[in-house]
Amino acid sequence: MTAAFLLLVLFVLLLIGVPVAISLGFASITTMLLFGNQSLLSLAQKFFHTMHVYPLLAVPFFILAGAFMTTGGVAKRMIDFANAIVGHYRGGLAMAALLASAFFAAVSGSAPATVVAVGSVMIVGMVNSGYSKSFSAGVICNAGTLGILIPPSLVMVVYGAITESSIGKLFIAGIVPGMVMTIAMMATIMIIAKRQDLPRQPKADFGEVVKSFKEASWGLMLIVIILGGIYAGLFTPTEAAAVSAVYAFFIAVFVYKDIGFKQVPTVLVDAAKITVMLMFIIANAFMFAFVLTTLQIPQMASEFIVGLGLPVWGFLLVLNLMLLAAGNFMEPTSVVLILTPIIFPIAMEMGIDPIHLGVLMVVNMQIGLVTPPVGLNLFVTAGVAKMSLEDTVRASLPWLGVLLIVLMLITYIPWFSLVLPNAIGL
Amino acid sequence: MRVLFERVEEGMLAFLLALMTLLTFIQVVLRYLFNTGLLWSLEATTYSFAALVVIGMSYGIRTKSHIAVDMLTKKLPKKIRNAVTLFAVVICLIYTGLMFFGAYDLVSRLFDLGNLARDIAVPKWLLTLTLPIGFLLLAFRFIEAGVQVIKGDSEVLLTGIHEDKEQLLAPQSGNQRDQK
Repeated sequence: MTAAFLLLVLFVLLLIGVPVAISLGFASITTMLLFGNQSLLSLAQKFFHTMHVYPLLAVPFFILAGAFMTTGGVAKRMIDFANAIVGHYRGGLAMAALLASAFFAAVSGSAPATVVAVGSVMIVGMVNSGYSKSFSAGVICNAGTLGILIPPSLVMVVYGAITESSIGKLFIAGIVPGMVMTIAMMATIMIIAKRQDLPRQPKADFGEVVKSFKEASWGLMLIVIILGGIYAGLFTPTEAAAVSAVYAFFIAVFVYKDIGFKQVPTVLVDAAKITVMLMFIIANAFMFAFVLTTLQIPQMASEFIVGLGLPVWGFLLVLNLMLLAAGNFMEPTSVVLILTPIIFPIAMEMGIDPIHLGVLMVVNMQIGLVTPPVGLNLFVTAGVAKMSLEDTVRASLPWLGVLLIVLMLITYIPWFSLVLPNAIGL
Repeated sequence: MRVLFERVEEGMLAFLLALMTLLTFIQVVLRYLFNTGLLWSLEATTYSFAALVVIGMSYGIRTKSHIAVDMLTKKLPKKIRNAVTLFAVVICLIYTGLMFFGAYDLVSRLFDLGNLARDIAVPKWLLTLTLPIGFLLLAFRFIEAGVQVIKGDSEVLLTGIHEDKEQLLAPQSGNQRDQK
């Protein structure tokens, strides 16, 4: 009854266009006032306390780092480097776009940001070299989803904060699945390139490769700083995020000199805007989770599901379907925030590893990013490629098969997610 | 006056974000280079973060950067759509009102207790005062939005998920230089 009221209010509000954050907050407050015994004071406190959850401090820092890297020319140098390595193969530009997306994903935590960073240069480049616009947009749109799988990842930060799992461990766990996804997409490009006889780029000589690597190494260093720093225990993910923000500022302004001091406040305001947008949702989601646990809703859901006697594989399949469906209508962080408090206790009951569950949710969210009606990457790609939304959906659709195959692999073979964290002994 | 307020608003957001980033960064530098740290740094960071978010909420309404789902509403005929949006704005106002009272209660409770923050020599209630102020500002923005809806603009809450998204998620301001 209580759960039904809470979810019904939430969905009705979402449907009539109330902002996601306020839908969550309003549903939580009214449910608490009607069925619970906690005061408005404790809800407001829960809201305010969200900004004191230490791991969540990584959110603004990673966003700021991403903002400096997108405007500061880091992406451009990564593209040049990727091009020098793989450009001379058949379909080389598409491969370079994929590789550059993977590089950028390794320094940024957001999928749409990756699409903008790589897509704004590469789509035009590919079309000029004789690729079809729809193929180019499809590659960029899907390669961009690597942004939330390859560490750092904002979605993982949020999942880690809400389940109190180690964010460092989640980051490390994302590496192998990220590589599997990259390889699967690379293979697809190779097959298509052969069939459609896509063009090659002139081969870069060794000197050019070294030169482009040197240029890109300032940005690529960030991968070492973030992952090396966390792995070696030098700093927490939050500190790693702050260090990358300062570092990204430094290379954008002093090394690449792509932005001047005058533009720094604009970058700060833009990053603050995105931070607020996300944190407003997160703070309300923390109230939502608080209401759920106070009213013991996850326990009831858990008892119900476990009582069904589903085997683990069956539960995972249901989980995938549920996440994919939700991912179709909302952006990744909202889905993770709304569903994790309900799913997590059930999954723990079924003996699923919390880190594996995190990676699995992220891959589901990747697919949500490229499926209509609400796929953020589709909107962004349509904007960058100057295509209609319908055309972008059509361009991106063939790639769904690749994503789904990788999703199945990662869902049913926990080894992919767990091998690296276990090997390192985190 | 209005323009001035908006400039101050933006300036504060930029300042708070820069402050918290630098504080955390300096903390790392101090730890490794000088083997020391600032005791108050973490608390200053988290309260700046809280201030950034609660002051930013209303800024987000003005700049239309909060995410909403417009799948259903955009298909409705203009008149019904306006009514639905007005209803949504009313929901937002009720939410803001309830949260304001909760925040007000919280601050007055902290005021009565009179505790100082853990590491900063400032009373806790003063640091938490940003919360009711944030919701007050948010209420003003929603009233403003409501007036706009009555005047016929049904896109006041819509932001989120449509084509402008590109700009929102990846600030492109640096490109202005390229265009010159």
